[in-house]
Amino acid sequence: MKNILIFVVVIAFVVISNSVFIVDEREHALKFRFGEVIKSDYEPGIHFKVPFVNNVQKYSKQLLTINNPQELFLTQEKKNLYVDFFIKWKIADTQEYYRSTGGDELVAAQRLLETVKDGIRSEFAKRTVIEVVSKERREVMAGMLSAATMNAENLGIELIDVRVKKIELSGEVSESVYNRMRQERARFASELRAEGSESATIIRAEAARERTVLLANAYRDSEKIRGSGDATAANIYSTAFNADKEFYSFHRSIEAYKNSIGTNNDVLILDGKGDFFKYLKDQEPIK
Amino acid sequence: MAFNDQGNGKSPWDANNGQPPDLDQIVAEWQKRFNTLFGGKSSGSSNKRKGPPSYLLIIMGLFIWLLSGLYQIDDSERGVVLRFGEYSKTTMPGLSWRAPWPFESVEIVNVNVVNRFKQQTTMLTSDENIIVVDLVVQYRKSNPVDYLFNVRDAEATLSEVSESAIREVAGKSKLDFVLTEGRTEIALRTQELIQQTLDEYGTGISITKVNLQDANFPLQVEDAVQDAIKAREDKERLSFEAEAYANDIVPKARGEAAKMIQEAEAYKEKVIADSEGEADRFTKLLVEYQRAPEVTRERLYIEAIETVYLNSNKVLMDSEGNGSLMYLPIDKLLENTNKQNRSENNINKGQTIENNQPVNQNQDSRMRRVR
Repeated sequence: MKNILIFVVVIAFVVISNSVFIVDEREHALKFRFGEVIKSDYEPGIHFKVPFVNNVQKYSKQLLTINNPQELFLTQEKKNLYVDFFIKWKIADTQEYYRSTGGDELVAAQRLLETVKDGIRSEFAKRTVIEVVSKERREVMAGMLSAATMNAENLGIELIDVRVKKIELSGEVSESVYNRMRQERARFASELRAEGSESATIIRAEAARERTVLLANAYRDSEKIRGSGDATAANIYSTAFNADKEFYSFHRSIEAYKNSIGTNNDVLILDGKGDFFKYLKDQEPIK
Repeated sequence: MAFNDQGNGKSPWDANNGQPPDLDQIVAEWQKRFNTLFGGKSSGSSNKRKGPPSYLLIIMGLFIWLLSGLYQIDDSERGVVLRFGEYSKTTMPGLSWRAPWPFESVEIVNVNVVNRFKQQTTMLTSDENIIVVDLVVQYRKSNPVDYLFNVRDAEATLSEVSESAIREVAGKSKLDFVLTEGRTEIALRTQELIQQTLDEYGTGISITKVNLQDANFPLQVEDAVQDAIKAREDKERLSFEAEAYANDIVPKARGEAAKMIQEAEAYKEKVIADSEGEADRFTKLLVEYQRAPEVTRERLYIEAIETVYLNSNKVLMDSEGNGSLMYLPIDKLLENTNKQNRSENNINKGQTIENNQPVNQNQDSRMRRVR
């Protein structure tokens, strides 16, 4: 009796737990009847099924990510770019998704990656590095997205976004970029130095000019001053000397004799003539 | 040691006369109660009165089960309640109750704490340079429902999106812009782009701040960058040196100019004073001369010649009537006088210079000017 009771309880538990299933906010659910999909549009909550006849598969309803690290793509100018990108997708049509991928996320990711890579390849092949990196990044991403969307729909997948994370130049290309950057810096450095010597030269030249002008002006002014001094002096001399020209001539001459002759112990050869010597030979008064 | 205080080396557990609690006894008692619960006619009918009745156990179990629905939400958190996996409500901080498992469950999300992560990324700029950027992103999970449900691993998504966004923004900017004045702008644009993308995905995450902590040249070009920095210093140094030079020569020239003016002024004053002096001397002498012209003239003449002859070496020749040729060793004479000069230099010069000074100087400076 007791054993029967326990048996009934266990059976009831198994039946109930097999006829109820919970669909989470984050999940899609598919109900099968002997392998055939009979219902796919479940709302979150508690739902029922017939045990052993129906079974249920659940898939994520959330936005999912596929990260693809370091894939090599060629640009228009045949440069190698390593591209990191990620794909944002979610399951849109659960039934279609189950049919095309068997409900395996890895399979879905594989299929998606193939189509997205094709899209990237063709978008990159149309563009140069600089266009991919900078000018048309948006367009590249949009192009990738639209190219892959059609294929994704066939998988029951909604492709939300394809985004390039990282675009890296391959070894030799990045080395040439580094070289260019070095040259650029070197150019910048020499430009700075040249600017330095430019401003230094200008400053020096201005200073030299200022000095020259200062000195020239000073020379001009000093000459003017000297000139006016000379003029005043000449005026004073002439006013005084004009009183007796003959006496001035005499007076100035003997002053000049005194100052110019005999100062360096000159040797004078004298013949004893002249008024100075007149009493040397003779004490008679001269008429 | 405190355990052994009772002495005899006995542990306190042995206080009950060395007998452990009888586990078997307890188990047996519970078994009986369990049996009565299922209405079994167990052997324990004689023990029926012992222990609480079975319905009390059920109520107790039910009570504990209901109590397990209590949960506490911190001030910075929100609780998201799911009923059979379906979102039912968001609860605010405090003590709340939900229907216990398996009916409802709660997931707690901290919506106020600001998380941050740092990313160092190498990227290409629009002028095809490579730079290294340190990006710090601060965010919080502002919408707990979106955060929990919409995106699988929302935080990883945030990191991917920010990496993509900073590259997109930097890829549109020039190197110098990123490195210098563009920092704040780039951080802002990156923040906008991240937020916009996150909103498109419905991650429920709000970016509070994006900081461009550091933007630098890659290590590979470090030497050249250092040299450029040095060049900037060189540039400034050159300018400073030139300015120092200018500051040196211009004031000196100004001083020189002032000196020239002063010299000219001095010359002018001097020339005028000299002329006045000489003119006055002449005028005064003239007055005397006019009073007695002949005597004065004679006196002046003789005095002058006397001075001239006094200072010279003289050779007096009486050539009258003697037509014969005469040999004069002038060079010897000059030599002699030079020697004499040199030996008597000090005395002679001292005198002559003192005598001649005013006139000489006057002449000298005039000569120089004229030249």
